[in-house]
Amino acid sequence: MKLCLESGLCVGHGRCYELAPELFAADESGHALLRVAVVPPELESKARRAADNCPESAIGFE
Amino acid sequence: MGEEIFNAATGAIDIIAPEFALNPQPTIRAMLEQCPIANIPYTGWALLTRYEDVAWALRHPEIFSSEMGDFLQLGNVRPMIPQQIDPPLQVRFRKILDSQFTKKMVARIEPALREHARSLIAAIIEQGECEFDAAYAIPLPCKAFLEFMGLPVEEMELFLAMKNGVIRPDAPPIDMVRCTQLRAETGQQIYRYFEKLIDARSAAPREDLMTYLVQVELEGRRLTREEILDICYLFLLGGLDTVTATLGCNMAYLAEHPAHRRRLSRDPSCLEGAVEELLRWETPVTILPRVLKQDIELHGISMAAGQVVNIMISAADLDETEFPRSGEVDFDRERNRHLAFGLGPHRCLGSHLARIELRVGMEEWHRAIPDYAIKPGEIPRVSPGIREFQYLPLVWGKR
Ligand code: HEM
Ligand code: SF4
Repeated sequence: MKLCLESGLCVGHGRCYELAPELFAADESGHALLRVAVVPPELESKARRAADNCPESAIGFE
Repeated sequence: MGEEIFNAATGAIDIIAPEFALNPQPTIRAMLEQCPIANIPYTGWALLTRYEDVAWALRHPEIFSSEMGDFLQLGNVRPMIPQQIDPPLQVRFRKILDSQFTKKMVARIEPALREHARSLIAAIIEQGECEFDAAYAIPLPCKAFLEFMGLPVEEMELFLAMKNGVIRPDAPPIDMVRCTQLRAETGQQIYRYFEKLIDARSAAPREDLMTYLVQVELEGRRLTREEILDICYLFLLGGLDTVTATLGCNMAYLAEHPAHRRRLSRDPSCLEGAVEELLRWETPVTILPRVLKQDIELHGISMAAGQVVNIMISAADLDETEFPRSGEVDFDRERNRHLAFGLGPHRCLGSHLARIELRVGMEEWHRAIPDYAIKPGEIPRVSPGIREFQYLPLVWGKR
């Protein structure tokens, strides 16, 4: 599962790096950065959780 | 329940009714079923209620502008920055402000915050009762905010008076003339106060947010004095009131729902989920005003450019299409894209600060006082707009 972040939509709610710190980090203004390109299988449910809780729907999968 | 507050035939909702502020959810749920666009009877302003419409409006500032012009002045003589300005200028200000309010930047207040929470609790625990707003909900976030900003904590009473003078002027809400006058007077006092502070930090810089505002550059130039004042004005209103209101809403809910209370007291791992779900359920900042930049039609209702449209985030957060079992408070909700901090470019700048204050405040209280109730025979009092439990008497067994 490949992780995608639409940076133009992210406004820094920080739900993703709160719920899945293994997959997301914050830049210095609190916007999301991807830590990985491909989600390891054991983190797939966390990745979905982060995507589901992003109010801007900025996180997707390929 | 709710008929006299909400009139399904006209779509009018009495948003300043005290019963509505105390217990809004039943009325909102009835309204969501019957009426996608409600209106405020005093002003005739439209009110968007559904999640989808609300999210759409908040994402389109070019249609739903935050530049309020003459509407809804909070005693300020210029727009507050960044809340009352639109992108792209708003985004430029957020660029310099966001970095000061990240999760990492706010984490440094945690030790002092926790210690303050414990000392507030220690002062009341033996009494077996307290008025929650005065004993905890007001002082805890206010001290944290003042320390975070680099403002003098000993002047907390003055800050509270200035904030209250603008948000809840000492006159009936329906007496708009008197309210506007009181707001304007307090507004002048706020400007004067921060003028002095700007001078002080310019002369003697410190390691604090006030100094940052004096020194930071926006695209190669310092901020003007007026810009700094317009930011501080908003910080004072945004940072002092909202967390207080949320703490009161949370505690009033938990006091009356023993299963949720027990769960939170016994299982601190649900704290984060509980804070988010209670933000959804209570959405204490209820309505965000916008002005239409163009004519629109929505659900068969035409709205003209220049008109005020209110975005009712407290309704969107109870919308069943976004939140299955929306009427249930579920700390384990898998998908919770609540709008209590807004959405889009104006997403609450202080959300990370608010979250740490709420988590630490709730955690420390429940560690010390896991079981409590609203004092029998007493009815709490809640303010409309930003729902602050201004009178919330709690009792608990002494240990
Ligand atoms: C639980 C507590 C809080 C709640 C529920 C809350 C809610 C909100 C909401 C809904 C907005 C969006 C306004 C809009 O779109 O018109 C907002 C904006 C804002 N909030 Fe908060 N807030 C809270 C705490 C704080 C704190 C502690 C601060 C600290 C300074 C703060 C500062 C701001 C600022 C500066 C804005 C304007 C952002 C912009 O327009 O770009 N808030 N808040
Ligand atoms: S949850 Fe969404 S908006 Fe928030 S930081 Fe993550 S990607 Fe950005």
